[in-house]
Amino acid sequence: MSARDSILDAVRTGLGHVRTDPAAARREAAALLQDLDAIRPALLAEDLVEAFVARLVTPKVAATAERIADAAGLPAAVARYLEARGLPAVVALQPAAVLQALDWSGFERHDRVAPDETIAVGAARWGIAETGSLVFHSDAETPILANFLPLHHLVMVRADAILAYLDDYAAATAGQRPPRNVNIITGASGTTDIEGSLVLGAHGPRYLHVVIVGRHPGEAA
Amino acid sequence: MEQATLSFKARAERALADPTLKIAIDRTTGTAERKRALAMSQFPQFEAARDRARRIKDHVIANLEHYLLEFERNAIASGAKVYWAATAEEASQIVVRLCKEAGAKRVTRVKSMLGEEIGLPHALDEAGIDRVETDLAEHIVQLGGDRPSHIVWPSMHRTREQVSEMFKRRHRAPHQEETIEAMVDSARRELRDKFLSADVAISGANFLIADSGATCTVTNEGNAELTTTPPRVHIVTAGIEKLVPSMGHAIAMLRVLVRSATGADVTQYTTFHCGPKQAGDRDGPEEFHIVLVDNGRTRMLREGMREMLRCIRCGACMNHCVVFRQLGGHVYGGTYPGPMGAVLTPVFDGLEKSRDLPHACTMNGKCQEVCPVAIPLPTLLRGWRDRSWREGLEPGVVRFGLGVHTFFALRPRLYRLATAMAIRVMRLFSRGGVVRGMPGLGAWTAHREFPAPARRSFMEMYKDQEGGR
Amino acid sequence: MSNDRSVSSPPSSPRVALFVTCLVDAMRPSVGFAALKLLRAAGCRVEVPDAQTCCGQPAFNSGDTADAARLARHFIETFEGYDYVVAPSGSCVGMTRAHYPEALADDPAWAERARRLGERTYELTSFLVDVMRFAPADVKLDGSFTYHDSCSGLRELGVHDQPRALLGKVSGLTLKPLEGNDVCCGFGGTFCVKYPAISNAVVGEKAEAIERSGAQLLLGGDLGCLMNMAGKLKRKGSAVRAYHAAEVLAGMADGPAIGEEG
Ligand code: SF4
Repeated sequence: MSARDSILDAVRTGLGHVRTDPAAARREAAALLQDLDAIRPALLAEDLVEAFVARLVTPKVAATAERIADAAGLPAAVARYLEARGLPAVVALQPAAVLQALDWSGFERHDRVAPDETIAVGAARWGIAETGSLVFHSDAETPILANFLPLHHLVMVRADAILAYLDDYAAATAGQRPPRNVNIITGASGTTDIEGSLVLGAHGPRYLHVVIVGRHPGEAA
Repeated sequence: MEQATLSFKARAERALADPTLKIAIDRTTGTAERKRALAMSQFPQFEAARDRARRIKDHVIANLEHYLLEFERNAIASGAKVYWAATAEEASQIVVRLCKEAGAKRVTRVKSMLGEEIGLPHALDEAGIDRVETDLAEHIVQLGGDRPSHIVWPSMHRTREQVSEMFKRRHRAPHQEETIEAMVDSARRELRDKFLSADVAISGANFLIADSGATCTVTNEGNAELTTTPPRVHIVTAGIEKLVPSMGHAIAMLRVLVRSATGADVTQYTTFHCGPKQAGDRDGPEEFHIVLVDNGRTRMLREGMREMLRCIRCGACMNHCVVFRQLGGHVYGGTYPGPMGAVLTPVFDGLEKSRDLPHACTMNGKCQEVCPVAIPLPTLLRGWRDRSWREGLEPGVVRFGLGVHTFFALRPRLYRLATAMAIRVMRLFSRGGVVRGMPGLGAWTAHREFPAPARRSFMEMYKDQEGGR
Repeated sequence: MSNDRSVSSPPSSPRVALFVTCLVDAMRPSVGFAALKLLRAAGCRVEVPDAQTCCGQPAFNSGDTADAARLARHFIETFEGYDYVVAPSGSCVGMTRAHYPEALADDPAWAERARRLGERTYELTSFLVDVMRFAPADVKLDGSFTYHDSCSGLRELGVHDQPRALLGKVSGLTLKPLEGNDVCCGFGGTFCVKYPAISNAVVGEKAEAIERSGAQLLLGGDLGCLMNMAGKLKRKGSAVRAYHAAEVLAGMADGPAIGEEG
C-alpha cells in the first residue's frame, strides 16, 4: 500500500468509516461562516478609511499613514516622507502601471529591489479596515521580494479598495484562480524572539508608510 | 543533548536550579500572558470566536478524508506536487530526496514545529546540506546548538545577554551596542545574503486551504516570504490536521490563533502560497512541493485523542502553565513542551518513555481555559494516566498506597479507625503545630511545613457532640 | 452560575447532607463544624452521613479509574437520598460533578445517577449564595485578608464571586487583592508528593505573591491548597495566617490558624 492509501485508510478507520456527503460538508462549512459579526472585532470607526487609518497607527501595527486626493500626488508625498527623515530620493519603484505612470522627476528610481534597498514604493490591491492590513497578489507587476527587502516600505492603496474585514477580501476573490502568493501585510516586520520584547525591522521593512488615495464611495464629500 | 539521557525528574531539578533560565522564561511568558490578556480585553467576541474555531476544526476532522482529497486535487491543479508520509522518517526522507534532486547545497528554513517533529534539521545536517534557519529564534537555537524550548518562541530559554554573546562570536558583522535592536540588526545583516543564495526553501504551514490547494504561513518577521520566494524550489511540510475548508475559515481561525499566541490582532505577514511561479510572475519558485504528514495523527483519531487534532500550535497553554513556567521547554524532552506537549509526546515517543509528562501536572485547568480551540487538555492528560495505570507503568508504591486507600475508603467503619490512627501517629511527630520528621512525609516536608491535624477527626467529634444532644 | 437562580426563592429547610471531605475530617475538623453551623444558619436541615469517606479524587487523578468508579458508587449510594449535598471544597465537588460521569462512563445507569446527584452537589460558598441566598449576620473580624481561588472550584464550578460576597459581609474585614489569584498554588493532590521540587517552586512563587498582598490572613475554599500555601508560608517564617473561608464566616477564626499550635 502506498503511504497515501495507508493514511487515507487509517483516517477512515479512525473516523469509524462514516463517509462524507460532499454537499452536506459544503453546507456545514458554509454555516460555520455565518453570523461573522459575532466572531470578529468591531471596526475602530464607522467610516472605513477612518477605521483603516486608526488601526494602522495603533501601537500594535505601528505604521504611519496619510491621505492624498489623487494618485498624481504620490511622488510629492513620497518626497515629503523622505525629506522629513533625511533620506535620499532614491527609490525602488514597484513595476506597476499605476506607479510607473506617475511623474517621478526629481527621483532616482529603479524597478529591481536591491538586497539592501533602503526605500521601496509599492501599490497594494486592497486595504483591510479590521486589521490595518494591505493585500498584495504576486503577478507581473508585483514582485513579492519588493515587499520584504527594503527598510522603508511606502505603499499606496486606493480608498475605494479598502474593505471592512478580512472576510470581505476572501469573498471578493472567491472562485478566482489564486495568485502564487497572497501577501496580507500588517505593519512593519517585527520580532519578539529575544525576551519577548518587540523590535521592528527583523528581516523585512522596519518602517511602513501607507498613502491612501482618493475617497471611499461611502464617504461624505 | 545530554539532557535526553537524564530522567524527567533529574532534568526538572536541573532546570529548577538554573536561575538564568527562570529569568528567561519569566520575561517571555510573562510578556506573552500580559499581551494576550490585553488582546482579550479588546475582543469581547473571543468566546464566540473560540467556539466557532473549535467547531471549524471539529468539522474538518470529522470529514478529514474528504478535505484531504479536495486539497490534494486543488494543489495538483495549481501546479504543486503532493507527497504523503506516514511516519516522521518517511517525511524527512522525502524532503531530503527533493533537496538532493534539486542539487541543493544550501536550504533556508522557515520555523515549523512539524519540521522539528519529523527531525528535519537533523536529517538535512546528516545529508550534508547547509541548513540556514531564518526565523530569528531558530537562528539563535541553531547557533546555540540546542533545541527549541517553546513552539512560538523557540529560543525563549536564552536571555539577551546569552544571545548577545553568541552573535558576537558567530556573526560576520556583529552588533556594537548592547541593545536588543542592535542584536536584531546583526541577525538581519547576517542572514540577508543567505536568503537570496539558497537553492531550496522549506516551510511548514499554519493552514492548508482545501478549496484552493494553497498553504498558509503566518510570521511576524517576514522571513517566510524572504525564504520561500528566491530559491528555485519550495517544499512545504504539513500535518494532515492543518486543513480548513476555505480561506474564510482560515481567517476565522487566525483571529483566535494570533491573539492567543502573541496578543496581536493578526500576524504582520500572512501569506497564502498557491503552486509555483505563474506565467508572468516577477519572482517565486519553479517547483512547489507539499508533503502531507501523518506521524501518529491517525492513531490519535483511533485512540480517543481526536480533540487534540484541533491544536493550532499557539503556545497559550504553555505560557499559562505553572509547571512550564518553572521548567521551560527542554525538560519535556520532546518536540512539543507544556500541556500540549505532555499530551503529544507520548504519542510520538511512547508512553513508557514519557509517562512522567502526563503526571507532572496539577490539573488546574488553566491551559484548557486559554486554549483557543478549547482542547480539554487535563482530560487528555488523565487519559494517559488511565492508560499508564492499565498498562502497569505506575510505580508499585503508588499502586499499593492507592490500593490500601481504596480498600479503607470503601469500608467506612475501618476507614474511621484508620483515620483515627493516622491522626494519632501524625500527632506523635507534631511540634508547634506542624508534623516534623515523619517517615513518608519527606516529599512534602523537604520544602514546606505539614500542618498538624487536630486531636480528633471531625467524625469522632461530631458523633460525641450529636450523641450528647 | 450565580444568576440562574436569581428568580427562584431559596428552598425552605432543605435536607442537606454535609460531605466534610476526607482531608477536613482528618486534618481540620473545625472547617466541618463551621460548614455545619453556616448551613444550619442558612435554614438547612443538615445531616452528616456516617458512611462517607473519600470522593476518590486521588485514585481518579492517578489513572486508577476502576477504583475511582468504586468510590464514586459508594459516594452516590451514601448521598443520593438528600435534597442537596454540600462540601467545603471545590475540588471534591468538582470530582463528583464533573468527573463521576467520566469515571462511570462504562456504566450508563450509574453515570446517569452520578449526573443527577451532581446537579444537587454544591461547594459550600456557592450553595450558601446561589441556592440559599444566605448572608452571614453579626460576624466580626478585624483585619485584612487575601483570597486564593482554588482551581477546581474556579474552573469546574465557577466559584469566584460567592466567597467574596460572603466575606464582604464580615464587619472589620477588608480584602487585599492577590496578584495571580487564579494561578494554581502547586498542590495538585498527589502531584505535590510525586513532583515535590516542581510543586515547591510553584508554591514558593505563590507565597511571595501572598506576602506582597500585604494581607494578614490568607483565605481559601480548599483545605489541600491551604495546607500547601500555609506550610510554605510557615517555612518561610511569614506572619500571614491561613484559614478556610468557612471558619471566618462562621465566626470560628479565633482558634489556631492552619499550621499553628492548637
Ligand atoms: S493546545 Fe490549545 S493552547 Fe495549547 S498550543 Fe494547542 S491550540 Fe494553543
